[in-house]
Amino acid sequence: MEKDKIIRAKNVDFYYGSFQALTGVTMAFEKNRVTALIGPSGCGKSTLLRLLNRMNDLIDGARVEGEILFEGRNIYAPEVDPVEIRRRIGMVFQKPNPFPKSIFKNITYAPKLSGVHRKSDLEALVEESLRQAVLWDEVKDILDRSAMTLSGGQQQRLCIARALAMKPDIILMDEPTSALDPISTARIEELIDELKQRYTIIIVTHNMQQAARVSEYTGFFYIGKLIEFGPTEKIFTNPSVKQTEDYITGRFG
Amino acid sequence: MTRQFKEILIKNLFALLAFVAVLVLGLIVVFLFREGLPLFRLVSPGQFLFGTAWYPTYDPPEYGIWPLIVGSFTVTLFSCLIAVPLGVLSAVYISEIAPAHLKNVLKSVIELLAGLPSVVLGFFGMVVIAPWLQETFDLPTGLNIVNASLMLAIMAIPTITSISEDALYAVPREFKEASYALGATKFETIARVIVPTALSGISTAVILGMARALGETMVVLMAAGGAAAVPESLFDSVRPMTASIAAEMGEAPFRSGHYHALFATGMVLFGITLAFNLIADAISNRFKEVGSGTL
Repeated sequence: MEKDKIIRAKNVDFYYGSFQALTGVTMAFEKNRVTALIGPSGCGKSTLLRLLNRMNDLIDGARVEGEILFEGRNIYAPEVDPVEIRRRIGMVFQKPNPFPKSIFKNITYAPKLSGVHRKSDLEALVEESLRQAVLWDEVKDILDRSAMTLSGGQQQRLCIARALAMKPDIILMDEPTSALDPISTARIEELIDELKQRYTIIIVTHNMQQAARVSEYTGFFYIGKLIEFGPTEKIFTNPSVKQTEDYITGRFG
Repeated sequence: MTRQFKEILIKNLFALLAFVAVLVLGLIVVFLFREGLPLFRLVSPGQFLFGTAWYPTYDPPEYGIWPLIVGSFTVTLFSCLIAVPLGVLSAVYISEIAPAHLKNVLKSVIELLAGLPSVVLGFFGMVVIAPWLQETFDLPTGLNIVNASLMLAIMAIPTITSISEDALYAVPREFKEASYALGATKFETIARVIVPTALSGISTAVILGMARALGETMVVLMAAGGAAAVPESLFDSVRPMTASIAAEMGEAPFRSGHYHALFATGMVLFGITLAFNLIADAISNRFKEVGSGTL
């Protein structure tokens, strides 16, 4: 059981300046599973997500207390290089954000940074990543066209493919479908289901049906605290905390 | 007065005001050409542009502005060699690297640099740089291409920096986040995402900086030396087009050949500056991005 936990937060407090955004969060994420983080806006779920690959480092005045252990190592230890962490823990954002470069160059961005330069290797990686993101058939003939010409849903799948190309262990998704139409959303959800064979996925979502559909575990956050965390089925059918029940049944939030 | 009538009135008033600017420019151009074109009754455009002798007051006079064109371009290009790296890299530093308090200080200092009167810079070139150049390199005069280019570079840097900085600032935050999330360092993010995305704006900045250097008069009048000959080294004196017009217009008899020749030089200058602006425009339109995550 212990071995299956790939990343865990231990007593994490997080501050933006003097504002405390997270209080005493302790939770562990299981390998090759989808974990959903839900809760009303401003509850700290996105903050926690961004803590897991040190994206919050980029914010001035941000401060972390407690530990985040990735494969048993605290990623906030002083000797840890955040760049190294981000290469192993990929991220997909709320708004599709491909670079204004060709589709091919979007995918090869991360591999090139880590030293892959052989053309044949890069081509193989591009095909593999796009196939995993179920985008290959749509774009295989237009790889040198700008990624900006794709539709929103395609752009988001490209962003997923781009994250997959660096062969991460974990993929963090921050409301990946909130800017997409229902059909694109359904495709991304199918994709998440496929990807969990190989990757650990942690997804923040505002859409509770989505959390129920795609995840095995769900954590409910409220005002910077983890209120309840457990198997998705239990959280949605038989929550043990009243607040969780109220949120899920739509009484607040 | 009905509401509709008011709307029409306001609309036309604004249109009129907008056209005043266009009209003024149009009239200046007409005037420039009316005073410049009569020169070509005396010399052919080819002789004028490519003639290497500029002796407008001799008898018979010679109106070849090739040395002036070469002078203008030499000081402009050489000043850009200095100003472009300095200007663009300062912009990168200010917009991406500098901590917030330093950012504000640097921005205002560079804006102050833009407010420096060119005559002060020319004076500085004349009194400080020229003697130093003369002694250090054992030259006949310190008023030369190097001196004028240095001063012009100082004038072009604020233009290049502030326009580049705007372009860098406009790079969406999402691109930077994407790059960091893919395991890029700050330097890799700047070099591979931020600068390439802002490239059209940076190119515009460079071209407008060049246009500024090309059109600048006082500095080159004071620091370039004023020799109307095609230069053979960077330590030779030159007489850029602007300096020639400014220095000679006062002594050229009204509607004489010399007078028309100076206006014709103005036409050439106008043409070159116009071309620079059109290029800047074309570049910024061509690389215009569609924006991120359009749905």
